[in-house]
Amino acid sequence: MREMRRKFISGAIAAVAMIAAGSAQAATVSFADAMSLMARDCGKDVQTYCKGVPLANNGVGQCLMQNQAKVSPVCIQTLAAVRASLAARIEAQDSVLKVCRGDAARRCQGVVTSDAHTLDCLLKAADHVSKKCNAAITNAGWR
Amino acid sequence: MAVNRGMRMRFNAIGAALLGAGLLLPGAASAAEITEVQIINGLQGPAVTVVVDPNALMAEVNANVGKGASALPTWAQLANLTQLVVDIEFEYNSTAIVPNSYRTLGAIADALHHPLLARYKFLVVGHTDATGAADYNLKLSLARAEAIRAALTTTFTVAPGRLFAVGVGEELPLDPGNPDAAINRRVQLVNIGEVR
Repeated sequence: MREMRRKFISGAIAAVAMIAAGSAQAATVSFADAMSLMARDCGKDVQTYCKGVPLANNGVGQCLMQNQAKVSPVCIQTLAAVRASLAARIEAQDSVLKVCRGDAARRCQGVVTSDAHTLDCLLKAADHVSKKCNAAITNAGWR
Repeated sequence: MAVNRGMRMRFNAIGAALLGAGLLLPGAASAAEITEVQIINGLQGPAVTVVVDPNALMAEVNANVGKGASALPTWAQLANLTQLVVDIEFEYNSTAIVPNSYRTLGAIADALHHPLLARYKFLVVGHTDATGAADYNLKLSLARAEAIRAALTTTFTVAPGRLFAVGVGEELPLDPGNPDAAINRRVQLVNIGEVR
């Protein structure tokens, strides 16, 4: 009973911590999920207004914005949301090593110097790694 | 121009060994969509370190249109490298990727950004089936591989020095007995070693 209760409490604390970490930084999505949302909400508009437009240089996104008056409002909304969360994810990916430098120095001594090995070490040491570093790894999509 | 414009290039796992389970997310299209984890696992670490020059690949295939590419010296080396095949669909007779394949491109981008793959560079090799003229198919496959590379290195912010687009048209069918089969339309991603 006590064990159950302890588990419940630590679970609740973890949930709160996750929410806190989430609110500290913008939520991020993977490119894959972002593209699924875009295909779902903008796929029809792409076929109607932007057929043949390349994905490169954000061409499809720009084309949809240029046709904003005709494109479905849901698509425009999704485009903005996707853009913001992808920007947050890229920022998190770029910042992980810097944010986690102190943690890596403390926790990952002797680990072969490579981003992949350091990440692996930080993931294993998650319970002892700073909140900031853990949040950066989560937002980078590397957990 | 001939009938086939290779409506799509298929990126299947060679031998269809991919762990089928597609991740069904909002708007997800086909069932067998490849995931970031599958791509990372499939492309991690070259089995053999071979220096492959993308320009040499193009020169060889351009000089041998219609004769097959498997025996060409540089192409023959690709078989030894860590690689993966994925499904990506294009508009008919076009280099525009259809919305149904956006997710797959995103998953490739996620995998290429992951620290496990971040130090490697890759070939993006376009293949068509054999319907239509061989020289046209070669051009189309290169243009489509270039479209994928262009999307990944701009919209999806992968470093341009990590990706090299190559086309091989109908010259390297997965199913040589059925040159027009859909399985031959595909794009390979090949790990060609560490970025220096």
